[in-house]
Amino acid sequence: MRIALSWLKRYLPVSPYEAGLADHLTFAGIEVEGIEELKALGHTVVAAKVISAEPVPKTDHLKLCVVDIGATEYAEKDENNQIQVICGAPNCEAGMMAVLALPGTALKEITIAKAKIRGIHSHGMLCSERELGLSENHAGIIHLPEDTAIGTLADQLFSLPDTIFELEITPNRSDLLGYIGIARDLSARLGLALIPPEANALPAANSSLKLGLINEEPELCPRYTARVFENVKIQESPLWLKTALIKSGLRPVNNVVDITNFVMLELGHPLHAFDYDQLESRDIQQDYPDIVVRKAFANETLVTLDGKNMVLGDANLVIADGKKASALAGVMGSKHSGITGQTRNIVLESAAFHPGNIRRTSYNLKLSSDSSYRFERHLSARYAKEISDRAAGLIMLLADAKGMGELLDNYPKEEEEIILGVRTSRFEHLIGFPISAEKMRETLEKLGFCYLQDAQYKPGIVKDILNLQMASPLDDPRTIAQYYRIPGYRKDISREADILEELARLIGYDKVPKITLMQQIMDRHAYRIQKKAAEWMVSWGAYETLNYSFTDPAQMEALGFNESELPYIQLLNPQSMNQSVMRVSLIPQLLTNLAYNLNHAERDIRLFELGKVYHKTSSAHTEPKHLGAICTGRVYPEHFKKPSQLLDYSWAKGCFEGLLSSLGIVSSMSPYQTPYLAEGEAYAYFYQDIMLGFYGRVTARVLEAWGVDSTNLKQEVWLMNWLLDDIVEICRNLATTYTNIPKFPAVTRDLSFLLSDKYRYGEIQETILALDPALVQRVQVFDEYRTKQIPEGYRSLSLHIVLQDQEKTLTDERVDALMASVQKTLSQKYEITMR
Amino acid sequence: MKDQLELMLKEAEQEIALCSNPNDILNTKAKYLGKKSALNSLYSRMKELSAEERPAFGNQLNLVRARIESLITERGNAIKEASWAKKAVVFDSSMPGMPLDRGGYHPLSIVRREIDEVFLSMGFEIAEAFDIEDEFHNFDALNTPQDHPSRNLADTFYVEGGKLLRTQTSTVQIRVMESYKPPIRIISPGRCYRNDKPDPSHSPVFHQVEALVVDKGISMSDLQDTLQNFAAIMFGPNVKSRIRPHFFPFTEPSAEMDISCVVCGGSGCRVCKQSGWLEMGGAGMVDPAVFDILGIDSEIYTGFAFGLGIERIAMLKYNIPDMRILFENDLRMLRQFKGEM
Ligand SMILES: [Zn+2]
Repeated sequence: MRIALSWLKRYLPVSPYEAGLADHLTFAGIEVEGIEELKALGHTVVAAKVISAEPVPKTDHLKLCVVDIGATEYAEKDENNQIQVICGAPNCEAGMMAVLALPGTALKEITIAKAKIRGIHSHGMLCSERELGLSENHAGIIHLPEDTAIGTLADQLFSLPDTIFELEITPNRSDLLGYIGIARDLSARLGLALIPPEANALPAANSSLKLGLINEEPELCPRYTARVFENVKIQESPLWLKTALIKSGLRPVNNVVDITNFVMLELGHPLHAFDYDQLESRDIQQDYPDIVVRKAFANETLVTLDGKNMVLGDANLVIADGKKASALAGVMGSKHSGITGQTRNIVLESAAFHPGNIRRTSYNLKLSSDSSYRFERHLSARYAKEISDRAAGLIMLLADAKGMGELLDNYPKEEEEIILGVRTSRFEHLIGFPISAEKMRETLEKLGFCYLQDAQYKPGIVKDILNLQMASPLDDPRTIAQYYRIPGYRKDISREADILEELARLIGYDKVPKITLMQQIMDRHAYRIQKKAAEWMVSWGAYETLNYSFTDPAQMEALGFNESELPYIQLLNPQSMNQSVMRVSLIPQLLTNLAYNLNHAERDIRLFELGKVYHKTSSAHTEPKHLGAICTGRVYPEHFKKPSQLLDYSWAKGCFEGLLSSLGIVSSMSPYQTPYLAEGEAYAYFYQDIMLGFYGRVTARVLEAWGVDSTNLKQEVWLMNWLLDDIVEICRNLATTYTNIPKFPAVTRDLSFLLSDKYRYGEIQETILALDPALVQRVQVFDEYRTKQIPEGYRSLSLHIVLQDQEKTLTDERVDALMASVQKTLSQKYEITMR
Repeated sequence: MKDQLELMLKEAEQEIALCSNPNDILNTKAKYLGKKSALNSLYSRMKELSAEERPAFGNQLNLVRARIESLITERGNAIKEASWAKKAVVFDSSMPGMPLDRGGYHPLSIVRREIDEVFLSMGFEIAEAFDIEDEFHNFDALNTPQDHPSRNLADTFYVEGGKLLRTQTSTVQIRVMESYKPPIRIISPGRCYRNDKPDPSHSPVFHQVEALVVDKGISMSDLQDTLQNFAAIMFGPNVKSRIRPHFFPFTEPSAEMDISCVVCGGSGCRVCKQSGWLEMGGAGMVDPAVFDILGIDSEIYTGFAFGLGIERIAMLKYNIPDMRILFENDLRMLRQFKGEM
C-alpha cells in the first residue's frame, strides 16, 4: 500500500519523527518495501493561465501558447506578465489553468532551459503529473481548477515536498489497509494522540427518493447499508482530493467515485456507489427500486465497470436490483449502474462480506480490485454506519447533493464481541522485561482496545464479564489481568498471546534485553585445529601417546639441548631425578616410547603426542601446545600385493607439509640445524617469519643414547614437531574463498630431461610457474632416475605441466609456444638436455 | 511387409548374439538401426499400406526397433563387463585385503573427547587453564585452610618461583569466574598432579574434567540431572547415578558422585567391592565463600561444580586393571583402541 506522509499527517502529528519514520514502521511490524521522495519544486513552478494556444505551422501537434504567470518573477516576461511557451500536449487549450515550469527548474527527469523550437522561443514547459514526479501519468498536462490563483506555487498546490512509503501489509492485518490503521499503530508506538478523521455534520434525511433493501444472504453479507443521495452534481474532484488519490496510486474519476476511494484509503473499508436511476424494482407494482443481496442465478451475466463480461453462478454473491445483478459483491460494480456524468441520483453502499466468498469469487473469476483485496482479508461489520456517514459528509460537501435519504441498515445479527484478559506478569515471563500496568493500558488503548476492568485471570475469550472474580489488593499480582474489549477491526486478536505480541511489537523488539546463555569462553577455533592436527597424524597411521609432564634433564643433555637456551622449570620435590624438570619438548619422551616399542619387537612404529610443554620466560612461564611425532619402518603394512618400502625423507616431508597445507597455510622451508637431527636432512618451516615446526632424521648418536642399536635397526627414524599454538594463531586469520571452477579444459604436457646435480627441482618448478602464471597451473614431477646410461652427476626428471586458460579454450599453437619457451629457458638457465 | 519385419528381427537377434567386441556392436547398430537400415526403409514404405493397416504396422515397427535397441545395449554392456573380469586368473577371495593404514588415539584421549562431546551437546563450553598454578588459585581461592594437609610437600608438587602443579582442575573455576560474569557453563579437561607413587590406582600425573555451572536459580537438582545424563550417555541408558554427602572445602553442600556398577549392574561384584556403586568424583554447590572471594553476589547466583577422573572412567569403560598401563605407550595396548574413534 502506498502511504503519503502529507496525508498521514491528517491523523497523527508525526513531524518530529519524520526522519526515523521508516524505522518506526519497520519496528511496529509494518515492512517498508520502498521509499519515494517527492522533492520540492521551488519558486519556478507555478500555476499559470493559458491565454492563447495556436498550432505551430507545419507541425501536427505543437502549439504556441501565451501564458500568464502573474506576479511570478521572471526576467523575460512582458509588461502583461506574459511569456510564450511551446507545448505538445493534446489537452492544451486556451483558457485553461496549467502548471508551468520556468527555465532553470530541475525536475525529476529533466532540467528546463530556454529553448528555440522551430525558430520560436519557448520559456519553460507546461507539465504533466509524471514530469512533476506525482505519478506515471503522461497523457496530458495537468489541468488545474479554474479558480486557482495565477502564480500559486506548485509545492503549495500538491503538498510538496512529500514522502511516499510503499508498505507491505501482512494478510492478518486488514486494519492496516487504510491510513487510519497505520496512524493508529504509529500512535501506540510513538505515544502520540490519534486525530480522528473530521466528521462533516450530516443534515436530517430529507430525500423523497425511496429504496427497498432485501438481504437474502445474511451469512455471506452480515451487514448491508444503503443511502440515497438526490440531485448530485457529478464533476471533477477538488485538487486536494485528486492529489491525495494520485499520490496513493489511484486515478481520479469523478467526485463521487473519488470520495468512495478516499474513504476506502482513509478507513480501510471499501464503499460502492450505484446510479439510482439505473436500478429497477422487483415488484412491478412498486414505484421505487430495490437493492437485493443474493446469490447469482446460474449463468447470470454481468459486465463489469472495466468492461469485462462475467458469467456467474450461485457461488457468487451479487448486489442486484429487482431484476439484474448490479455488482459483484465486494469485488466490482457493473457498468450499467456505474456513476457517469449523466448520473443524477445515487445509492451509496457500505457493507461487510464473508471473506472466503469474496476470495473464491475473485479467484474463480480472475478479477481482483482494491475492494476485493480488502474484503478477502476480513473486515468488520461493526463500522458500516460510521463509514457511510464519513462518505455521506463528503458527498454533501463536494457533490452538492440536494437531498439525502435515511440510512437503510440491514444488520440482523450483531458481530460477536471479544473480551480478553492480559497479565503484566505474563508479558515479563514471555518477552523478558517488565511492563507496568499503566504502560500496558496506555499502549493498548492507543490501539483502540477498550479497557473494562481488572480481575482474576481466566484463559480464553470471556463470555460474561460479570462472572469474573474481582481483583483485590491482597491478590498475587501475577494472577491479575486487565480485561479489554477487542475492537472489531482487529480480527487477528483472539488470545492473550496475541495481545502480548502487540505490546512487544509496539514497545519494540529492540527493547528486549539480550540475556546471555553462552559466554564464548571457549576457543572453538583452537579446539578444531587441535582436533584436526591429531586426526592428521592418526590418518598417517600414527598412534597417540601420553607422557608425563615432567622429564629427565639428563635426556635433554643427551639430545644436545643447552639449558641456557631453553631453561627448565625445576620441581622442588620430585619423586626422582629423572622426573625432576617440566618438559620443554615432546621429543625425549617420544624417543623413549620408540625405544620401548623397538624393545618389544615392534618394527613399524609411528607415534605422536599432542600436549603441553612448559617454557620458563623472564617474567612468568608459558604452556604452549606442541604436536610431536616419531616414525620409522615400512610405509605400507606388509601385504602380498605391495612392495616393501621404508619411510624416508619424502614420507616425512609429505606428512609434515601436508598438515600445514591442509590447514591452508602457505609456508617456506629452510635447512634446520639442531644437534639431534642429521645435518642436511632436517628442515624448518616458516609462515612469514614465524616458525611453524621442523622435521628431520634422528642421528645414530641419539638413537644409541636411547639404547637403540642403530646398526641393526637398518631403517631411518624421522622426527616431526609442529609448534601448534603458533599454527592455531596463523589459521585464525586465514579465510577460504570460493573461486569459480574453470570453464575451459586443462591441457597436460610432459617434459623429460637430464639435469645436472648442480640444480634442484624446486628451482625448475618455480621457473616454469613464473613463465606465464596465468597459464601454468601446476608443475609436477612424476619420475626421477639415474642409470648407467646417464652420465655421472646427472639425473633424469620427468614433469607434468598443466596449462589452463580461464578465459578460453587453449589452442595447440599457444601450448606449443609455451612449451618451446619452457625448453628454451630451462636450457639456458639450467643446461638441461631434452630426452 | 510384415514377414519381412519378422525375418529381419530374427536375423538381428542372431547377429547381436554373435558380437564379441565393441566394434561389432557399432557395426550391428548401424546395420539394423542406421539411416540406411531395412527398418528405416520399412518406415518410408508405410504409405503403401491402407489407412486402416497403417497404425498397427507403425506400432509393430516401433516395437521391433525398441527390441533391437535394447538387445544391442545389453550385449554391449556384457562385452564391456567381460573386459573387466579377470579371465584366466582364479580370484581367491580368502587372500587378505589391503590393510587399513590408520593409527589411533590414546584411550584417555578417546574418553576425554567423548566427555567433551557429551557436554558440548548439553551447551557447555570448554575452558583451559595452566597446569603450573599459584597457591591462590589452587588452594586459597578454593577455601582451603592454610594448614590443610593437602598443601604438604608429600601431597603437592611445588616448582620454582613459588608455584605448584595444580592438584585438581577446580583451579579453572577460579580462573573462569575471575574473567567472566555468570551465567557460566563450562567444562575443563586437563592434567593434574599429586605426589603419589605410581601403582595400580595412582599416578603422579592424571587427568580430570571439571564442570562448573553458575547462574540464577541453579540448584542441586541441576547437578543431579547433569550427572544422570552424563552417566547414561557415557555408560549406557540403564546406568543410574547418585550423590551422597561428603566434604570439600570449596563446595557447600559437598557430595561424592556414584554411578551404578557398570560391571554387575548394581548387584555387587569384585569391581564395586560388592556395593553395587562406583565412585566417580567429587561434586557440590559452589561455596558462598568462593563467590565472595571472586566478588560474585552469592545471594543472586548459585552454582554447582564437579570433577571427574578420566583415568577412572577409561579403566572402567575398557576394563583396564592398572593405571600404569595407560602411561607405558605400548603399541600393543594402543592398537586395541583403534576401533574406538
Ligand atoms: Zn559391581
